[in-house]
Amino acid sequence: MREEVRLALPATAAHVRLARLTVASIAAGLGFSLDAIEDLRIAVDELCYLVGAGGRDGSITLRFDIDDDVLVITGEGAARAQPMDARRLSEQILAATVDSYELAGTEGRVVCRVVRRREAT
Amino acid sequence: MPDRAEVRELLGTYHRTGDPAVRDRLVEMHLGLAEYLARRFDRRGEPVEDLVQVASLALINAVDRFDPDRGLEFTTFAVPTIVGELKRHFRDKGWALRVPRRLQELHLRLVTTVAELTHELGRSPSIPEIAERAQASPDEVIEAIEAGRAYRSASLDAPAPGDDVTVPAAWRIGETDDRLAGVEERNELAGLLAELPERERAILVLRFYDGLTQSEIAERIGISQMHVSRLLTRTLERLRRRAAEVEQGET
Repeated sequence: MREEVRLALPATAAHVRLARLTVASIAAGLGFSLDAIEDLRIAVDELCYLVGAGGRDGSITLRFDIDDDVLVITGEGAARAQPMDARRLSEQILAATVDSYELAGTEGRVVCRVVRRREAT
Repeated sequence: MPDRAEVRELLGTYHRTGDPAVRDRLVEMHLGLAEYLARRFDRRGEPVEDLVQVASLALINAVDRFDPDRGLEFTTFAVPTIVGELKRHFRDKGWALRVPRRLQELHLRLVTTVAELTHELGRSPSIPEIAERAQASPDEVIEAIEAGRAYRSASLDAPAPGDDVTVPAAWRIGETDDRLAGVEERNELAGLLAELPERERAILVLRFYDGLTQSEIAERIGISQMHVSRLLTRTLERLRRRAAEVEQGET
């Protein structure tokens, strides 16, 4: 069963909490383990900052695509270019917390997508 | 160091007369002590100015309550009073943001619940499993996990009086440092990572470079999964803040 949840947030650090709560709630519904949910909360946090949360204005959008045991999260926003060090750390964090991720940027627009499957129990 | 005879005399005078000028003089003479004690609690997540303030107020309190007739040295009385007040400060300030008491309690209860379930199941539990054991709803469990971000590990890390601040052997993980050395060369993150406390750095490397889960890290270094979660969160926030500062050239 495919479902989709969309979230549009002001691009400020204070609202990232809503993204974390949302992903935790969706993943809990899919039967993800606490470890996986902790990973997803960290990944979504990172994703939000990558696409522009933590700024002072603008907004970011998040889409959660739910498909049985797979959760795909796509974030988009008008982020500024990140310093290389910070970006490397962000990518390292994503690589460790989700099964796969993509990060693409064009003209002041950054899109980040992460995929996490429910582990076999 | 204040002159003992002078201190004794002033305390006697203040005890008899209640002269505020004498009290001020006594407080002034011992501010160094208050600051010294406050700094022993530094690096626990609270601004040091706040700690000095707490210690100074405790010092005033100690001057007021000291009874010179009991024959104690003033410092013998003042040190435990000030340290007690600092510890109380950490306990009360454990929650940085306003978190409803019910969520605070649930969060703290989850520490044991998660540990028990992980042990019994031999894997990381699901939210419904945790909720059932903790007699809460899944939504409440999720909120309680999120509330961990508002929990300052400061209160958990604060030393007991007389404690030397030591790093348990389990945190000094040799291979972690080796891995990190490689990381630093590749990423030029050396400056930021080097600023982290040893345990936080170890957890960061174990999670993001060695791929251990939070439960595995918890078991390996002997703290709860919930605490690993809080420490990771705090470390990432700190790195993010520092990275922003570095970017703005405010090193």
